[in-house]
Amino acid sequence: MSLDVKIHSIQTSMILAFAVLIVFTIVTLGVFSYYMVGESLTRNTKENTFQVVGQLNRVIEDYISYMDDIALVVTGAGDVQAHLEATSRGMREGTQALRQRISGFLQSIMSVRKDIESIFLALDDGTVITADPEAQLNPAVDARSQEWYSNSSLNTVRASLSSAHVQHLLKDRYPWVISLSRELRDTRSNLRRGALLVDLNYGIIEKLCSSIQLGKSGYVFIVNAEGDIVYHPRQQLIYSNLKTELIPEAMRAENGTLTALVDGREVLYTVKTSSYTGWTIVGVSYVNELFSNRSQLEYYFVMIGLLCFVTAAIISLFISQRISRPIQSLRGLMQEVERGNFDIDIRVNAANEVADLARDCDIAVKKVRDLMRQIKEEHELKQKQELKALQAQINPHFLYNTLDSIIWMIECGQNDEAVLMTSTLARFFRLGISRGMEIITVKDEIEHLSCYLTIQTMRYKNTLDYRIDVDPAMHPYRSLKLMLQPIVENAIYHGLKNREGPGMITVTGRMDDGKLVFSVCDNGVGMSEEELRRVESEGGSAKGTGGVGIRNVRDRMQLYFGSDSSVTYDSRENIGTTVTLVLPAVRQEGE
Amino acid sequence: MKNRIMFFIVGAALLAALAITAAFQWQVFFPAGLGKKPRVTVIFKTLDWDNFFWRTLKEGVESAAKDCDVDFLIEGPEEEKYIDQQISIVEDAIKQRPAAIVMAATDFNRLVPAAEQIKKSGIRLVEIDSFINSQVADCKIGTDNIRAGGQAGEALVGRIPEGSLVGIISYVKASSTAIDREAGVRGHLGTRVRILNTLYSNSEAGQAYSLCARLIATTPDLDAIVALNLPSTLGAAQALKESGKQDRIVLVSFDSSQDVLEYIEEGVIRDTVVQKPFNMGYLGIRTARELIDGKKIKKQIDTGSVVINKDNMYEPENQKLLFPVVQ
Repeated sequence: MSLDVKIHSIQTSMILAFAVLIVFTIVTLGVFSYYMVGESLTRNTKENTFQVVGQLNRVIEDYISYMDDIALVVTGAGDVQAHLEATSRGMREGTQALRQRISGFLQSIMSVRKDIESIFLALDDGTVITADPEAQLNPAVDARSQEWYSNSSLNTVRASLSSAHVQHLLKDRYPWVISLSRELRDTRSNLRRGALLVDLNYGIIEKLCSSIQLGKSGYVFIVNAEGDIVYHPRQQLIYSNLKTELIPEAMRAENGTLTALVDGREVLYTVKTSSYTGWTIVGVSYVNELFSNRSQLEYYFVMIGLLCFVTAAIISLFISQRISRPIQSLRGLMQEVERGNFDIDIRVNAANEVADLARDCDIAVKKVRDLMRQIKEEHELKQKQELKALQAQINPHFLYNTLDSIIWMIECGQNDEAVLMTSTLARFFRLGISRGMEIITVKDEIEHLSCYLTIQTMRYKNTLDYRIDVDPAMHPYRSLKLMLQPIVENAIYHGLKNREGPGMITVTGRMDDGKLVFSVCDNGVGMSEEELRRVESEGGSAKGTGGVGIRNVRDRMQLYFGSDSSVTYDSRENIGTTVTLVLPAVRQEGE
Repeated sequence: MKNRIMFFIVGAALLAALAITAAFQWQVFFPAGLGKKPRVTVIFKTLDWDNFFWRTLKEGVESAAKDCDVDFLIEGPEEEKYIDQQISIVEDAIKQRPAAIVMAATDFNRLVPAAEQIKKSGIRLVEIDSFINSQVADCKIGTDNIRAGGQAGEALVGRIPEGSLVGIISYVKASSTAIDREAGVRGHLGTRVRILNTLYSNSEAGQAYSLCARLIATTPDLDAIVALNLPSTLGAAQALKESGKQDRIVLVSFDSSQDVLEYIEEGVIRDTVVQKPFNMGYLGIRTARELIDGKKIKKQIDTGSVVINKDNMYEPENQKLLFPVVQ
């Protein structure tokens, strides 16, 4: 489990590293370009507004100056001057014809300039000459009382301009105009004799201004030097107090910008004051609209950033997986090997160094596996050969002795005993063969042992006795063929043979905590401590071939039952020896 | 194997680029509603653009639509008297499901069911200029006629001595605006003057002319006449001018037209009370927008009225109310 986590953490840390890199790059680039683009957008918009307002001012200046030229032409015209001179001298005769000629002249001007609403010559004596001789003057109005008339004398170099107003000099006509007026001066006497009025169609100015769009709802307005509105698209709202316009503040800004909070909205005034017309043109743009691109920009940047991040995250996930997955699977395969399974192919699905590593591991594991198999085979072969040799060694020796005893019995006429011994011997061998199986039941092993002990007690009459006390519950469990017999044989030949008086062999068997515990106890000569240690360390007996038998038993127990089996000695000099054999309790199949 | 990874990365990057481009193409990046303006249907009493009042109202609507970021559609019958046509226009407008309807009703009572239908359909309703006999509308925007009547009365009081004899020419007896204006006039005059029985011109200039001519002829001590709408004004002014008593009899009127302005310049009409159609149109749309945005608004808005006379008619703030700009 901990290995899994480790492998995962390789991937995690890779993704994390990728993510940090990607986020850092995207955020840095994004923020930088966002500010750059946003700044330049705002600057461009501001500059653009300034240019638009400046351009409008130039157009209006050009227009007014052109109209002023027309006015100048009219004031200097021969017929006009002649009429002025005549009035100066107080002459009445002939002026009627002059007036008609002037009217015709004015009419010809108006026919080429449709943007001129009307032209009037108002003389100090109350005479008014219009372009249209048919037109009736409004009886309720005296031209001399109008503002343009008096204003005309304020400036002799340039025409004076009114704000937008309704002209009501003519009866039944109420056009919206901007009045341009000039003094009428008799050039001979250099005396003022009246004023010339050129009314410009207000619609022209309105069209010029309303065509200008600043942002989504920005607009342009114009005020004259007195602060009166010349043009404003929302004039009525201002008069109704539904809208505020900071006119004096805007006029103070002259040729610059001004930011202010108007009606709850932040407004940018771009101001251009014309020294020629005296008008102040103000471009009004709403700051939130100037920056409306900016909020859209913000949105784009965030969205693109997110999209890039997601894409990069998926790619990095894929890459890190491509790298970590082969390592992970290699790790898994190696764990399998650790558990002892060498029979696997170590191969990972990758195209990099990990695949090479896996290939090397595969070769190594296969080599180990081959070596291990080789060693195991050699070992087993050796053991089997040894075993067989030992078995072969045991059997002829015992057979020879027994057959010798039988012969002896027959010779002594002890036929019944000879029969018993022979039949016991036969049973002993039948059990010993056991269809060639090494593992037999406890029951068979005990029976085998009792056959052996029967034969031996018959042979050593009066000097050997035995007792077998094995828990019948143990009978169906697995035991090793020829396990107890060599121990007993060893006890008889080494423990009891040298003893004076009758010897006793006690074989017991008990179940203890899932284990089979056998003990073979004799009351023979026993062993000294030194001998016991030697026997324990060598796993065999001190003397003769019997020692080999016991070591063989121990080895076979190890071989067939593993480390759960054991053989232990307990011995005291002149008292006896106890050999304890422990086997794991495993039931014999089929019993 | 290595090539396959490279292919995958390049492929993924291309796919991402494609997705970004596609998102731009299909405007996925625009949040819902961004750049999409609310639709407002404006229903006038008439689409007669020669009429200064309605043309100015339309200008107000156009200006507000630009300022408030609203898409609008102006509809209406050809003439004010086609009430049925306006009702069917309202019904069609409901089917188009605009966010709001701004309506000037041609009839005080007959448009009530249509107005109720508007509200039932979940469309916001703003009434302008002329209202209906119901309170279903979210907001009523127009002239407070009682106040306007009061202004006329106030103008009159300044021009005649106490105890003068005053005649009132109204137009339709049952008209709510006529009732309000008269109430305003009478309320302001109170008992300072003697008021004759109200005459009704039936909104016809000819009728007003004959009524007024008879009034002038039969009432030698008549000091003043108040005419409550444009046809009544025009008839009364003509009668007064013809009688030649314009210096003795003070005529105070309602509404304006070029003729009315000429009468003022001539001194036949002393004062006229004019409404503010631009503001009605502008506030109609602005209020509709505020309703759509869920803002709290006043249920009734008085757009105000102004007393115009010879002295102030060319004031900058009044010129725009009186004279159309012809482009």
